[in-house]
Amino acid sequence: MIHANYSNSRMHIPDGFLTPPVWLTLDVISVPVVAWVARRRPAVVSDLDRRVPLMGVMGAFVFAAQMINFPVGLGASGHLLGGTLLALMLGPGAAAIVLTAVLILQALLFQDGGVLALGANIFNMALAGVLLGYLPSRLFGRNMVTIFLGGMLSVLISGVLALAELQTSGVAITGHPAQVALLLFALTGIVEGAITVVVIRSIERLNHTALRSTSATSLHARLAVIGAAAVLALCGAWLASGAPDSLQLLASNVGLDAEPVWTHSPLANYEVSSLGPEWARRPAAGLLGLAFVYTMFSLGGKKR
Amino acid sequence: MHHRVIDQWSRGVSPLHALSAGVKLAALLGILIAISAAPTYPTIITASGLLTIAAMVSGLPFTGLLSRAAFVLPFTAIFALLTWWSGDPERALLLVAKSFLSGFAAVLFAATTPLAAWTNTLRRCRFPSTLVTVIEFLYRYLFVVAQQAETMRWAARGRGGFRFDAAGGAVGALFARSWQRADGIHRAMLARGFQGTPK
Repeated sequence: MIHANYSNSRMHIPDGFLTPPVWLTLDVISVPVVAWVARRRPAVVSDLDRRVPLMGVMGAFVFAAQMINFPVGLGASGHLLGGTLLALMLGPGAAAIVLTAVLILQALLFQDGGVLALGANIFNMALAGVLLGYLPSRLFGRNMVTIFLGGMLSVLISGVLALAELQTSGVAITGHPAQVALLLFALTGIVEGAITVVVIRSIERLNHTALRSTSATSLHARLAVIGAAAVLALCGAWLASGAPDSLQLLASNVGLDAEPVWTHSPLANYEVSSLGPEWARRPAAGLLGLAFVYTMFSLGGKKR
Repeated sequence: MHHRVIDQWSRGVSPLHALSAGVKLAALLGILIAISAAPTYPTIITASGLLTIAAMVSGLPFTGLLSRAAFVLPFTAIFALLTWWSGDPERALLLVAKSFLSGFAAVLFAATTPLAAWTNTLRRCRFPSTLVTVIEFLYRYLFVVAQQAETMRWAARGRGGFRFDAAGGAVGALFARSWQRADGIHRAMLARGFQGTPK
């Protein structure tokens, strides 16, 4: 039996790959974000010390769940990566903390990802991955489609960010290897989405108390999500400016380059051409795009 | 499991084990930063020399340490081969050397410093205490939950292996049990007067 375990096409960047400016920047971004999330007090203070052991055991669960292989055909198997599942079960903040703890232990005890590269790996998987895994369910309510979408997006964004960071560090991945990598990320994403759906359905069947009811989105939570997404867009734009190739490759892979509508839109080429100095254009375009997407989502999404 | 060996190693006795976790953490970061910031052969040779001496002092099996550090190689090898093919063999070798040495430094740190020692250092360095406590809990229950998953895997193998949805059921059950375990742990902690951080 071939154990082509998809997630072993790992997204954990080891040390030695990223150049100092890249890992330093991402450390400087990730550390305060994680610290902020970790220091936030939940509405009910007594909840905090209940959640600490829960988060720890859930981290152990993520490790353990990866031992259970899901057959995906052709003798290959995949396993749960867990970012989306945790985000939906514990909330995105707690999920980010749990995954950060997992990544720190993986770096030190399992040689899965580097120590200096921790900032990058935390950013890719524990922050961006969790956020994108959570966003569809948050905006459209939780159902099989949004869960699947979340699982898929979280893996895709982690993979693409890792590629972009490597690219920015001058590790050459262009042409076919990059396409293969993106294909692998897409496959891993589909597997993750499917696994997350079956697991959540089975937890529902167990009628478990852990299932969080989708509460009405408070203004505060929305602002937090928007803020985090904005930071993400800024970083993404910054990375994209350093690594246009891989993102364009992604675009061509998903068919966005076939006479796309948005080349004629004001956000063409991710630049707001008519306003602001050179350096502000890409981020501004990213933010505008985000605002647009958010408006569309909140207009189209079910109000709960 | 892999970390069981490291856990045992970290409880050994040697001058390197006796060194404070903070000093070792600083040394680890120093070596990693040097390798990353000045990736030249003099740096690499100096770092390998220092790490070899440190490994000797630790009294741990040298080949064992090397093979654990080799866990980084599958990832590295792919990119090294790609770089080689794109006509830059020297850079490819450097990539392997850098990531392997960095991995070795991390292994040596983890194999001579018990987890509780470095998490306490992190706490003293004003790392968010929630995060540090979660790391400690995670490590403490890793064996327990992993054992449960292992049992499930054996049981499934006895029934002829998992189908996709059955594996989902197993992970769901594992999740539910972990959740109940966490609740039980929390109640037990309250009974013993827990107030946010371990004493």
